[in-house]
Amino acid sequence: MDFFHAHQAQHYLVLAAMLFALGAAGVVLRRNAIIVLMSIEVMLNAVNLTFLAFSRFPLVPNSPMGSFLSGHAAVFFVIATAAAEASVGLAIIIAVFRSRTSVNVDEFDTLKL
Amino acid sequence: MAEAILFYLFAIGALAAGTQVIFRRNPIYGALSLVGALFFLSGIYVLLAAHLIAILQIIVYAGAVMVLFVFVIMLLNLKEEELGEQRITVWKGVGLAAVVASFGVIAWRALGPAFPQGALMQGDRRVDNALLVAGFGGVKTVGRILYLASILPFEVTSLLLLVAVVAAVVVAKGRI
Amino acid sequence: MEVTWLHLVPLLPLIGAAICGLVGKWLPKGWVYAVALASVLLSFLIGLRAFIGLGEQAPLFHELWFNWFSAGSLRVDMAFSFDRLSGALTLVVTGVGFLIHVYSVGYMEEDPGYWRYFSYLNLFIAAMMTLVLGDNLVAMFVGWEGVGLCSYLLIGFWFTDEEKAYAGRKAFIVNRIGDFGFLIGIFILFNQVGTVGIAQINSAVLPLGVASIAALCLFIGATGKSAQLPLYIWLPDAMAGPTPVSALIHAATMVTAGVYMVARLSHLYVSAPGVMAVVAVVGVLTALWSALIATSQNDIKKVLAYSTVSQLGFMFIGVGVGAFFAGTMHLVTHAFFKACLFLGSGAVIHGLHGEQDIQRMGGLRKYLPSTRTTFLVATIAITGILPISGFFSKDEILGQALHTRAFSFLTLTPDGSTRLTWLGPLIYAVGSFSAFLTSFYMWRCYFLTFSGEYRGPESVHPHESPSVMTLPLWILAALSVIGLVLGLPQAWVHGTGLQHWTWEHFTDGVFSRPRGGAPEEFSPYLGYGIALIVGWAGWACSYALYFKRGLAGDELLTARIHVLRGALANKLYVDELYDFLVVRPFWALARGLFRLVDATLIDGLFVNGIPTLIAWVGAMARRFQNGDVQRYLAVTALGVAALLYVFLVRG
Repeated sequence: MDFFHAHQAQHYLVLAAMLFALGAAGVVLRRNAIIVLMSIEVMLNAVNLTFLAFSRFPLVPNSPMGSFLSGHAAVFFVIATAAAEASVGLAIIIAVFRSRTSVNVDEFDTLKL
Repeated sequence: MAEAILFYLFAIGALAAGTQVIFRRNPIYGALSLVGALFFLSGIYVLLAAHLIAILQIIVYAGAVMVLFVFVIMLLNLKEEELGEQRITVWKGVGLAAVVASFGVIAWRALGPAFPQGALMQGDRRVDNALLVAGFGGVKTVGRILYLASILPFEVTSLLLLVAVVAAVVVAKGRI
Repeated sequence: MEVTWLHLVPLLPLIGAAICGLVGKWLPKGWVYAVALASVLLSFLIGLRAFIGLGEQAPLFHELWFNWFSAGSLRVDMAFSFDRLSGALTLVVTGVGFLIHVYSVGYMEEDPGYWRYFSYLNLFIAAMMTLVLGDNLVAMFVGWEGVGLCSYLLIGFWFTDEEKAYAGRKAFIVNRIGDFGFLIGIFILFNQVGTVGIAQINSAVLPLGVASIAALCLFIGATGKSAQLPLYIWLPDAMAGPTPVSALIHAATMVTAGVYMVARLSHLYVSAPGVMAVVAVVGVLTALWSALIATSQNDIKKVLAYSTVSQLGFMFIGVGVGAFFAGTMHLVTHAFFKACLFLGSGAVIHGLHGEQDIQRMGGLRKYLPSTRTTFLVATIAITGILPISGFFSKDEILGQALHTRAFSFLTLTPDGSTRLTWLGPLIYAVGSFSAFLTSFYMWRCYFLTFSGEYRGPESVHPHESPSVMTLPLWILAALSVIGLVLGLPQAWVHGTGLQHWTWEHFTDGVFSRPRGGAPEEFSPYLGYGIALIVGWAGWACSYALYFKRGLAGDELLTARIHVLRGALANKLYVDELYDFLVVRPFWALARGLFRLVDATLIDGLFVNGIPTLIAWVGAMARRFQNGDVQRYLAVTALGVAALLYVFLVRG
């Protein structure tokens, strides 16, 4: 009961690590391009979690509050960027699908020497 | 105590959803699982006193980005047989090993003794409450950071979103 | 005394060479002649004016024309110095050179490349003047190399004939070997003295070993340029060039550069008595060797060529025993009579439309009277049967050799038991024998060419040369006679006005005395007597064999000593020996290196190997990009893992 009373950052960090690993595994293992993009979103969320964990449990304790909140600002930008990247990525998948009728990444192999 | 229960609840939920994302064959199930994962993560953000971010996650991430994903999946309208089989290759094994190694490294570091503990986490509720009263993670304080300290990234991000909109339209439209 | 016009002496012929060479092809013939002759004549006149101006107040004219380059402590100027020795040589070179230019106008009348010829000839005069007047070793070396270049250009003048071209090449290469020694000598001297100025080197005090090595290296250069053993082989082959060239370069001027250099650096050489002994020994051996070969040659120019080598040997005897004035005096007189002999032979060849073999000559006294008379005078001079110039200069050398004290300090063994005092008399004996041979072969040459009856083909009608060619012959013959004044013994002219004209008095103070001091005053009469006997003995043998009998004399000799005669006729097989020892291994080495280094190593490894290597690396690298996206992603994940490890574990 007391083990969580300390309310430390490690739990959140390990959870973030697990989510990151899951997302990376999806990127590596799956053939479907949309699934790959979604795995990337999972990884980005793991990163967000890490940012917020460090924001809540800072390494240097006695700093002004503003410096803690820079983690939140970072997460804000990550979400915005993830949105932009997801939209462009999906647009590309649509364009490729139009010419090849396939969304499997291992069939996009014409860019080679 | 309550935090522990909530944390484990949300954590297991997020992990399960994440597993579903990467293991399901049908992308629609994957997308819906991802929405669930985002909700669970939003809850964890609340535990971390990041209220604004939590709400933004639900509104923007789960509410807009995932909707886009679902739209695209439905647009592509892949039939069952077109979804394709999984193939096992050497490189996938290498990649998987790398991923596991990454996890191991991060976990080792996070759980190691070299990891110092911040002042905020002594679990002193009075300290925590004082912070919350001061607005930690709320709209005002986060907004202050965004518009004062990091105004340049803010503007650049808006430009980025503009570019992404134009790019998405141009690339996906085919013939302009 | 500093002057500003000395540089004109080498510069004017240089300009003449440039004009004749660059535009001479399109100028009227007369203009080319005028430019070439005028430049040399002007140099002569300037030299003459300067020569007259030399006196007690101004024993030396010096000019620093410009600073060529400076590097560190080395400073090389183009500077000239005109003292009695270099002044006299200037007059000889430009004067005889001018006469030969005049002669060449007639000789090269029908040759289409005349403008090239005169350009090279002028260039030669310019280079020779740089050599003579040069005030430091590097300026002298510039002239040294320049005359070597002109020698190559002029020997191979008719380069369309392969053999003639090879002769030019041979001259240049053999000279180059000597030049290498010269350069080493310059380096040593600069290293030890700190400057390359001749005056400074002459006044520097050098340890025995250093002076010896430097002097020896410089002498190696002299063996190349002045055709001594073992580097004389180019001079007979150099007869492939036009005869005036042989007269100017290979008799009167260029080949004497070695003697001049040794005389110029007399102070250096007297501080290295061992090297002086080497010089004298090389000189006497060369004199003997080539005199022997000359007795059996049938090409008139080859006889004169070997004669030149032999006479140069005499000059080196002179400077080697410490009698620098004697060696240089013979240099001057030799220029007169040898040039006369060569030009005369040129007139003979010209008159016989190209015939050079004396076996096909004979009886030419009827057809070429002027040539015959001048040739006779010059032959008397060289063989010394009458007391004109050559007699005195040659005898002076031998007399100095007999009485020299330069070797009295030298020993063969380290403990000093055997002194080399006998070296001088030995040189005298061998030199006298060479003088006998000189008389013998020169009179053979004269008798077979001009006496008896004509042995050539009927179709050739011998005729005398035009006056533009015979006039220089007469002038040179006259100089050969008048030159006797240079060598008159001091006892005869002491106190008279003639004393100032003797070479010994003239060059007093220019040279250094050897360590043993000058030889004691000796009576010249015994020497004169022996020299006369030797000369007449040679004449007598030659007269008996050749005057009446003509070629039968050769057959008689061959019957008696046919092995020796055969070897002598074949130049003692020196060229063949060199070919075997040096030339063939060199070619083999070059071929081997070509195959090994050039073909295998450079072509294989670098020219072909590097592209092959690059292609192979490219082929390896190409496999990274096969378009497999999942492979890219896996590699990316691997990179991420590595980065995380580096940042989190390793800090």
